Amino acid sequence: MNPDRLPDPIAGLLGRLVDASAGERLVVSVAALVTAILLGGVVTLVAGVFAECATPIFGPFCYNPLAVYRYLFLAPFFDSFILQETLKNSALLLFTGLAVAVSFRAGLFNIGTQGQLVLGALAAALAAVWVGPAAPSGPVGGALIAIVAMIAGAVVGGLYAAIPGALKAYADANEVITTIMLNFIASDVAFFLVSAYFQKPDSGSVETRDVPAAARFGPEIALAMAIALTLLITYVLWGTAFGYDLRTAGIQPEAADYAGVDAKRMIVTSMTLSGMIGGMGGAVWVLMSVGRWVNGVPSLGFDGITVSVLASNNPLGVLFAGPLFGSMQAGSLSIDFQLGVPRQLVGVIRGLVILLVAMPEFFRALGVRWNMGGSR
Amino acid sequence: MNAIRRFGLLAVSTLAVVAVVLIGQLFPNTPAGELASVLDAGYAASALRLAVPIAFAALGGIFAERSGVINIGLEGLLIVGAFTGVAVAHWMIGESGASLGPGVVLLLVIAALLALAGAALDLLGDSRREMAIRGGGGVLATAVLAALTVALAGPTLAATWIAFYVAVLVSGAFSLLFAVVTIEYRADQVIAGLAVWLIALGAAPFASSVIWGSVNSPGVDTLGTWTVPLLSEIPTVGSVLFDAEPVVYFLLLATPVSWYVLAHTSFGYWVRASGQNPKALDTAGVDVRRVRYAAVLISGVFSGIGGAGLSLGRVGNFVGSGTTMVDGRGWIGITAMLFGNYNPFGAFGASLLFAALDALQFRLQQLNVAIPDSLIQSVPYVTVIVVLALVGRTRTPDAAGEHYEADED
Repeated sequence: MNPDRLPDPIAGLLGRLVDASAGERLVVSVAALVTAILLGGVVTLVAGVFAECATPIFGPFCYNPLAVYRYLFLAPFFDSFILQETLKNSALLLFTGLAVAVSFRAGLFNIGTQGQLVLGALAAALAAVWVGPAAPSGPVGGALIAIVAMIAGAVVGGLYAAIPGALKAYADANEVITTIMLNFIASDVAFFLVSAYFQKPDSGSVETRDVPAAARFGPEIALAMAIALTLLITYVLWGTAFGYDLRTAGIQPEAADYAGVDAKRMIVTSMTLSGMIGGMGGAVWVLMSVGRWVNGVPSLGFDGITVSVLASNNPLGVLFAGPLFGSMQAGSLSIDFQLGVPRQLVGVIRGLVILLVAMPEFFRALGVRWNMGGSR
Repeated sequence: MNAIRRFGLLAVSTLAVVAVVLIGQLFPNTPAGELASVLDAGYAASALRLAVPIAFAALGGIFAERSGVINIGLEGLLIVGAFTGVAVAHWMIGESGASLGPGVVLLLVIAALLALAGAALDLLGDSRREMAIRGGGGVLATAVLAALTVALAGPTLAATWIAFYVAVLVSGAFSLLFAVVTIEYRADQVIAGLAVWLIALGAAPFASSVIWGSVNSPGVDTLGTWTVPLLSEIPTVGSVLFDAEPVVYFLLLATPVSWYVLAHTSFGYWVRASGQNPKALDTAGVDVRRVRYAAVLISGVFSGIGGAGLSLGRVGNFVGSGTTMVDGRGWIGITAMLFGNYNPFGAFGASLLFAALDALQFRLQQLNVAIPDSLIQSVPYVTVIVVLALVGRTRTPDAAGEHYEADED
């Protein structure tokens, strides 16, 4: 059955769930995740040999992978601080994962979500600080400021993503490299702008003034916004003509061209859309997590790549992959505090997941071998 | 068309430098004069030094991509090289003085493991006899190299050199992993390359924290400099070219050798054919898979030299915070490769251009010019984008990014 033909997005979703290739991708993603976690356990065990500790678990091994994974995955449920972190990270990763997924769907490797998020966050913080005094007091004013900040983040993130889009479309410049370079430039420019013009007075670090307290919100609202945005994007991708063009341009650029899709404009539009979502993620980071723009933005954009790849660039898959990595990221604080295992371990697992998802052939070969063993 | 643009860009940038130097000489009190005052022999030497990791990544990228494998994991391979070099050096020298024993053993073990992996992947030859001869030869050569290093340098310097070799081997091993994933399991090359980068970006700070309790390493000894007698006395040129770090000499050697190998040897012909028309190469009886493995291995070895040269060459430590000390040089190397149109000399020239800008931003920071540091820092990255926008798509090998199945009909 062809879900593209169904006008109703719900029916389309059901069609996609029974679609064989979608099911296969799901199996590959789960298998890749499990394998990455097993490999991560081996890495933890081996790393323990090089660490110094008072009481090794046994022999030369300092770290117990089982304990690491217990803290990594269960801490969100028995530690309220970690649970809060999980909710916040999940919301942010839903935004960045979605941003990356939209570009990948269009056949574009937007590695620049990080830069779009950094500048979007700065724009949001500045807009909130600027609008703050003019807005009425109370929750209505707060919501107004938050909306203005979100729009500012989306606009700046989108414009920043339009640069590599235009370079790709009209100068044939490889977007993987331009977006990575723009990540470096974004953090330099943001640092300069804040330290030269928007520095919070009497502050030791490079940061903007605090956004009005009324405009800040908790992770529940951020999660609700992220989920709503995910559903909206799903509808746009599978329920509208624009989404159809975007996906066709990603899978078969020649066919899209033949069907009358302006490929160049499509590239710029998809990159802009992706950047807008990334910029909104930056705004959420400011309003929900820190309350201002501060130098040293976490690598949410890069984590978004992992989320999107694990979800095979499917927005609905992002709904699962985002919270999964969100909780792992939060749990990494717990393994650091409780077990002394460096939290960068999650970065290693992140890379392993991408590597393994990229090689479906490996799991297919494994599956064939096991099936043959069973049915012989 | 693109060639004209490329040479035009090169000519314009050269002219601009010459103009700045001339104006600076004539009017020493203008901004141009200040700028010219920093463009001296020391500046040229530091530009050449900064070009090392960029150019080695670019040279490695040329081999891989010309064979049909787009390796965008070069940044990660540089990180692996930079970290391994410092980690092994610290392990062997540490606080208690050099101990060569474990380092030499480690080197041999890694060489043996690589030889085994190569044999398992059929890289070393068809028959068992051929595998044994080549694998054994590799391990023997490593042993001779280690012995020679110990004989020529003092124990501490020899330990640093052995750390350098190990870093190159480990980076090579890491590239073999990438090769298996892309060639054997037909993974998407861009995604797998991203994974190599992200794994290194996570693993190096992780390992650093495990070993030293911080993402940054403590200081270790460096490889020092090699001064060529007499030649280094030549004014200006001598101090730049003949009183330099060892890796700078390696680069000056690797560029023409890479060019010669690609243009004039049968291996170079296979690499080019494997990227342009793998079917024809296969028909001619050459194993496309094996050629691609070898090319990707070369990209790993070159990145290992570049990365270890970065950490052990002059600074003598590893910085793992943020984007690590490699700081995008692998990506700039990929741009240098594109700008140089997959030609080793072109890539070297482009690397030197980017490195010169990088050196300039260091100099300008010291001069306290009115432009803020954080903006000057972004100059090399902006240049990369401008260059890519002007040069656009280069003539990528036809089969780059595509998998090749010998059994397909």
